[in-house]
Amino acid sequence: MGDIRQSLLPRDVLSAAKELLYHLDIYICNLVQSGRQPPQVDSKTLELVEEFILHAPKDRNTPARRMSALQELQLLEIMCSCFQEQSRDTVRQLMFSALFSLQGNQADESRMALLSKLVSMAIAVGRVPILECAATWLQRTHRVYCVRLAQVLVDDYCSMVPGSGPTLQNIHSASPRFCCQFITAVTTLYDLTSEELTPPSELLQMIVSWIQDDPRLVLITFLNTPLSGSQPISSLEVTPLGGLVRWCVKAPLAYRRDKKLPLTNGTSESETEAGPLFSALHLSVLQVFMLLPNILNEKGLFGRLALLQMESLATLTSDLSRLLDQADKHTHTSSADTQALSQLTLDRLAQALQVAMANGALLCAREDLRAICSRLPHNNLLQLVLSGPVMYYNNIHTPPLAFSPHAAHSPIASHPPHPAHPAHAPHTPLAAHPSSHPQYPAQPFMTGMPFPFRPSH
Amino acid sequence: MSAQKDCEFLVKRARELVSDDPCAAKAWLITARTLYPADFNIQYEMYIIERNAERTASAGRLLYDMFINFPDQPIVWREISVITAALRSDSQDKHAQFLRGLFETLPGRVQCEMLLKATEQCFNTLEKAEMLLLLLKRFPESVVQHGVNLGETLLEAEASENVETPVNCFRKLFVCDVLPLVVNNMDMRLPASLMQKYMLKAAEFYIGYVTRGPSPDVQIQGSQEGGSLKSPSVSRGSQRYVIDGLSEKSSVVAEPWERLLDILAVVGARCEWQGDKGQRSYMDMLQRVKELCHYLPGLEGDTRSRCCSQVVICAALVLFRSAFLYVSSVQPALFQGVNALSSGPWILVEDLSSVYNDVEVERGAMKHAHKKRKLADGREKTMSSDDEEGLGKGRGRHILVNKTEMPSWSETLDSFRTARESWDLLHSHDGLETEFKKICASWKTDSWLWFRIFLTDMIIYQGQYRKALSSLHQMAAVQQPQPGQQSPSGQASLEHHRALIQQASCHYALGEYRMACEKLLDVVGGLVPPNQVQTKTPEDQGRVKTKTRKGNDLRLLPCTSKAVLPFCLQLMLACFKLRAFTDSRDDLSLGHVVVLLQHDWPQGEMLFLKAVDKIIQQGSFQYENFFNYVTNIDMLEEFAYLRTPEGGRIQLELLPNQGMLIKNPSPALGVELNTLLLQGVQTMDRHHTVTRGITKGVKEDFRLAMERQVSRCGENLFSVLHRFCINEKIIIIQSLP
Repeated sequence: MGDIRQSLLPRDVLSAAKELLYHLDIYICNLVQSGRQPPQVDSKTLELVEEFILHAPKDRNTPARRMSALQELQLLEIMCSCFQEQSRDTVRQLMFSALFSLQGNQADESRMALLSKLVSMAIAVGRVPILECAATWLQRTHRVYCVRLAQVLVDDYCSMVPGSGPTLQNIHSASPRFCCQFITAVTTLYDLTSEELTPPSELLQMIVSWIQDDPRLVLITFLNTPLSGSQPISSLEVTPLGGLVRWCVKAPLAYRRDKKLPLTNGTSESETEAGPLFSALHLSVLQVFMLLPNILNEKGLFGRLALLQMESLATLTSDLSRLLDQADKHTHTSSADTQALSQLTLDRLAQALQVAMANGALLCAREDLRAICSRLPHNNLLQLVLSGPVMYYNNIHTPPLAFSPHAAHSPIASHPPHPAHPAHAPHTPLAAHPSSHPQYPAQPFMTGMPFPFRPSH
Repeated sequence: MSAQKDCEFLVKRARELVSDDPCAAKAWLITARTLYPADFNIQYEMYIIERNAERTASAGRLLYDMFINFPDQPIVWREISVITAALRSDSQDKHAQFLRGLFETLPGRVQCEMLLKATEQCFNTLEKAEMLLLLLKRFPESVVQHGVNLGETLLEAEASENVETPVNCFRKLFVCDVLPLVVNNMDMRLPASLMQKYMLKAAEFYIGYVTRGPSPDVQIQGSQEGGSLKSPSVSRGSQRYVIDGLSEKSSVVAEPWERLLDILAVVGARCEWQGDKGQRSYMDMLQRVKELCHYLPGLEGDTRSRCCSQVVICAALVLFRSAFLYVSSVQPALFQGVNALSSGPWILVEDLSSVYNDVEVERGAMKHAHKKRKLADGREKTMSSDDEEGLGKGRGRHILVNKTEMPSWSETLDSFRTARESWDLLHSHDGLETEFKKICASWKTDSWLWFRIFLTDMIIYQGQYRKALSSLHQMAAVQQPQPGQQSPSGQASLEHHRALIQQASCHYALGEYRMACEKLLDVVGGLVPPNQVQTKTPEDQGRVKTKTRKGNDLRLLPCTSKAVLPFCLQLMLACFKLRAFTDSRDDLSLGHVVVLLQHDWPQGEMLFLKAVDKIIQQGSFQYENFFNYVTNIDMLEEFAYLRTPEGGRIQLELLPNQGMLIKNPSPALGVELNTLLLQGVQTMDRHHTVTRGITKGVKEDFRLAMERQVSRCGENLFSVLHRFCINEKIIIIQSLP
């Protein structure tokens, strides 16, 4: 393949790129047909791509060739149809990674630029094969780059061109895999720490409606990925659940902070709508957790794979304690409003922790939770969750079937999973939990004592 | 510090939030449920939120969870009973539809279990049955287990509740809902005897339903709907009908005869009856069992009894259906849903249109008419080639009917014939008759007025007048003590007339003229004479065609004054005709004949000339009522001529003779009648009252009377003859044997 370089050099930039794509296609087809495992594109070819498609300078002597904007648009069109027409998944994937897999070199910048434009275009014209390839790319690539791609897309569709939201809205039906990865990237990007890192309301609405329509959407990548443990270390999480939990929990505080800003940009209206949106999103997240036991059991992963990471929760709780602290300091009067929003944050945290734990998304003991929540202010529900349910049952009206609702009443075997699961047994780790997080400061929680923080009814 | 307290706290928080932020409320409850999965209130609260928001799928899911996890919670059962009630009702309101939709989201087995358990908790037989029926309809496999039991429960309930009629809620459910499920379920083997029992239960119900009487609140004026039985209009408007215990909608049975035929086809197939398995018409069915009957004597054992059952059941159903169709057009007011206004009652009577025929031609025939009729059906007939020819199929008697007044005459006569044929078939073998009588006994057909009406007409048709008379007497006895049946339009009196007229006709056929006239004159007394001016075309047509008949036919006579009065006149004429023209002298009868011959003039011209001949032969004629009732100008002229020398100087004593009344005081004549007669005399000139041939002024009186009479020619003849019937009733009756 390296020998075509001479024939490409005299050509103009566009036709050279075209020619190269053409040859790349043939080359990869042959590669796949040869049956060599794994099919690997050689470095010479990758260099050609960098030189003639990405136009990275080969060396100082050769001046970088540049494409005009029009030529670039034409090239993108050609690429679009190239991926569209290729019927074989393997070939398409190899081609995509030959073009866009990051190589850790100078060319990566233009690679990212071209990729962003291609994906943005694919969304605009509905090129499903490209979105599918991009979804895979989002799984394999370092999260920093994933976030960069997401940022471009959000800018293109939510900020730059008003009213172009509906185009982006469609991706959940065009490519659910891409949509799922996009959500993960976006929740990683926007961590609500500053105004810039607060999702645009258009994006928020879109995500909420996607998940409300089909809560399983957030699990698509997880469901479609054979978890071989070969996930690149620094890639995006396998689901956006962690990010979504962070959004929902922090939202009341983040938006309270924003409210204090003068209403300069006229977005106040959409911001007042954020409350119900996050409430709905939070419910959806809990509902997704409830889907998990079945899925995890099917995969044989129940109690073995944590979809929520203890580390990120610890970060979240420490962020929270800092934010709540600040809030308290800023508003000495501690208005009822502030108080209510703080409690809402803590309610959501408690709910997310409890439901995630009960459904096997969070693998830890209540002790561990007490450790990471020790600095948070008082909240009735959080205390209830941290202490766990009262196990002596003095309610004569309800039969004691707390631990196995199915064993006692299972005339119908095909009964879908009860969201309640043995997992919530108090003070007992779900499974052999690897570590007890020694890095978090131990909290003076006295197990022997009657729990003093139980909600005062 | 208890779990219960925790749960209460969680539910309370959710309740606080639900109106402002339902998502938050749900999030609380989801969390609560993972903490306390065994707490009922948490799940119930979740369910309530979804139910109140009418979210079918999620509410269904939660109801399912509660049903599985808390099967003993009374609240769950209350909820389930609300849902099953919605399933049973035909309410179209939004909430009922939501509840039905909710039920549909549940897995089949849960639905099944729910219905079964709900049924167990139900103590009202009818509700319980409706509930179980829901189950059977949804889960055909449950029919095997519960179908027959449900059926038997309903039949038992019917028996124990002492319901008056087979058209009751239990039977309706059994016949219309349970039975089709049971007989159509091929996984079940049912003994033929049970199938037949059920078949008869169904037949009794459908027949009872079709022949139900009008409900008391029916407004007859309001209903102008068509009389077609199958039309949906039966249930519309004023024809509302509700079976006790059922809603109006479920009281409606569409196309009952067709449904009965459906059941019969299935039962027949399952009982291995002979013949094709497909659905046939009632007529095909009769044809089929007729053929089958030929083989009956050769059969033995099971085959024979199976064949017997088939013939009896099929023929009986054809019989009842045809008899109903016949009676519904002859006496529509008996039934609900049959238009009573389209035509009033019709009466099957002897056809008297041949009364104007020559006496000589007829005498022989009339004398032994009823005896001859009994001999055989297929005796020789002299018939015109009119279109009724085909109906008689060469045997039996003709039934004449005015086709313009009864547009459905052909169907009516067909039904009558089919019913008779079925009856004959059912009585063609002892075995069949016994079986049929069992059915009749269990259905108490003796008490079916409408069926008795058919039977009576059939007996009359067969010429068994004596039996018919006793049946009519019984019927009159049954009919009288029911003042409730009386409708505002005087229907009851017409119904009563119907029986009397039919009795008169029977007496006449038996040669009991006196009784015949007595009955009929009773009726005529209550009639209003119709206007004289009437188009005679329909009657004329009928008569022209039937001219050659010999008084052997029957006629369906409308039960109206317009039709009954002429019939009465004809019948009296028929009664007096034979006496008047005997060799011995009977001036009174001859006089009556002359009076009666005025009706339908000049139909009776030939007979009138015969009477004149007889008077000439006698040389004299005495009939004091002449000037009271003879207004026919032709007749008057003829009588005036008789007195002239050219006419033969016949001695006519036609003026009322008071002396005769005094001479022959009749104890039967009450003061009333005597007064009437005297009034009649007063209108003449009392001072010129004559005794026979003595007074010289006779000639003058006669002339004057004639002149007066000529001036009366324009009088309404019906009024004159009606007066004749009323005023001379006693004399008329007394002068007959």
